[in-house]
Amino acid sequence: MKVYLAKWGATMAVTWSNLLVYRVNFILQSIAPLFVFLLVKLSLWYRIYEGQPGLIGGYSFGQMAAYHLWVMITGLLVFNGNSQRISEDIRLGRITSYLIYPFSLWEFHGAGFLARTLLQTGIAIFTIFAALALLGGRLESPSFGPFVLGLLLAILGGVFWFWINYWVGLVAFWLEETWTLMVMLQIVTYFLSGAIIPLELYPEWLRTILLYSPFPYIAYGPAQLMMGNLEGVGRAFLVLGFWALVASWFAQWVWRRGLRLYTAAGI
Amino acid sequence: MIHAQGLSKRFKSHQKAPGFKGAIQSFFDRQFETKTAIENFDLEVAPGEIIGLLGPNGAGKTTLMKMFTGIIVPSEGSLNVLGTVPHKRSRDFRKQIALVMGQKSQLWWDLPALDSFLLLQKYYEIDKKTFEHRLNELSELLNVTKLLRVHVRKLSLGERMKLELMSSLLHDPKIIFLDEPTIGLDLVAQKNIRDFLLNYHGETGVTLILTSHYMADIQALAKRVVLVLEGQKRFDDSLEAFAGILGGAKMVAFRFGSVVKRQDPFFEPFSPLWNAEGTRVELNIPEDRLRELGQQILRDYPVVDFHTENLPIERVMAQLLERPELL
Repeated sequence: MKVYLAKWGATMAVTWSNLLVYRVNFILQSIAPLFVFLLVKLSLWYRIYEGQPGLIGGYSFGQMAAYHLWVMITGLLVFNGNSQRISEDIRLGRITSYLIYPFSLWEFHGAGFLARTLLQTGIAIFTIFAALALLGGRLESPSFGPFVLGLLLAILGGVFWFWINYWVGLVAFWLEETWTLMVMLQIVTYFLSGAIIPLELYPEWLRTILLYSPFPYIAYGPAQLMMGNLEGVGRAFLVLGFWALVASWFAQWVWRRGLRLYTAAGI
Repeated sequence: MIHAQGLSKRFKSHQKAPGFKGAIQSFFDRQFETKTAIENFDLEVAPGEIIGLLGPNGAGKTTLMKMFTGIIVPSEGSLNVLGTVPHKRSRDFRKQIALVMGQKSQLWWDLPALDSFLLLQKYYEIDKKTFEHRLNELSELLNVTKLLRVHVRKLSLGERMKLELMSSLLHDPKIIFLDEPTIGLDLVAQKNIRDFLLNYHGETGVTLILTSHYMADIQALAKRVVLVLEGQKRFDDSLEAFAGILGGAKMVAFRFGSVVKRQDPFFEPFSPLWNAEGTRVELNIPEDRLRELGQQILRDYPVVDFHTENLPIERVMAQLLERPELL
């Protein structure tokens, strides 16, 4: 077990080193989420509330701003997939090295995902403090228990999203380009997970169906927990856990099928 | 060490006519073609051997390497490497092999090679003491101690190749597959890599399977040569036997004092290789006719200099590719 963890640790260390090579790139990547949140989302909702004072979908402007802040923090922890890199590795024959090393491709990408998630956690903490400092008393500070549950649900969402990304990346065994597939999936996920607008603004029938899908639990669910709303927390973990297991099983199955088609191009 | 019997590999690929029209056609009516890369291939390799896989581009050498290392799955036949089936890719198997790809880097491009080595130390579960010992030993042998902390992207191709080689040897593999290890390197760098491999083999007795388009690599390293043509094994014997396929022919080079007509039918049967000016020619002359033909050329042409040597392996190869029926 110790040996196994050391392999993951070393892969994470090398991923961090690689991410930190280009300093300007790293700094831009770190401050971009806060910048986008403050400039785009807040000013957009500010304008909407200006024309229609009161509640929208049960949210005051302050609550809506808080919701989007927590959705952004959740997004930092969840959307760290790297499907483009996986497909590129397959198409250009770069996975060859990981078929030779005694460390599998999914472990390599899993460790990379974990490394990026941990780094993003740091960025998320920085963003929370910066947002609280900039917005002063207009944002409610989260309470500890629900906040931790929200973080855990976001991490589970990250695991689910990792396997979905891995699966889409592996489609490169069959398709030459997986970029469009990933973009489509990402747009649908943003929309259905409540990352663009809260689910309260959707029709009732769609919300009922969505409760059995993984989507609400990777943005809307964690954001609600971070805002102190504990309703449906058990179901959130159960449904998302189930889908994460299905996604991991499916990705491994696709890997086994795809490997039979691999030609290791370019060597 | 390697037992292959009746090994075959077929690839299915889709065909597309050129241009936009071809793309539309291929979208609605996709034509597939099955290509046999390797057919009914048998091979036995004993521990400690150095084997050179020879053949033109597309002959199937690399496909063989990919099957031996477990990267691709054979379509037919049985294959056993180090007592196991390679494509099952057990961790134990992977710890005992190494693949050096001249055309593909295994090092992290944006980091110093040492970072990649430390990663490999963990992957191959090499304890710290052994790792440090091997690191020092190999970096001294390859003369790369000063390069370990330099970003890989800043190294020259020759320097990078040495480090690629080093990364494949850290875990002390029992069998090393080298696919074009000297491709693109200058003559000095090629020689350095060859000398190192020869020394390393002498010291460790590791099994080496090598493909290269540089015959000098094969000549310097391989004791045994396997020729692959269109996916089939056409020759498997010692390097000396390979050089002797053409019946002990000699290469004789003549230099002339004045220009000789290159189309002269006299030279045709001896695969002449002319210089651009038509003042120098290399001929493949059968050993038993050396005396007679030598005298005739000296008498009938303005020869100012000549010399004889054994047929270089390049020329054996070139002639076999032109006339495979000689095999």
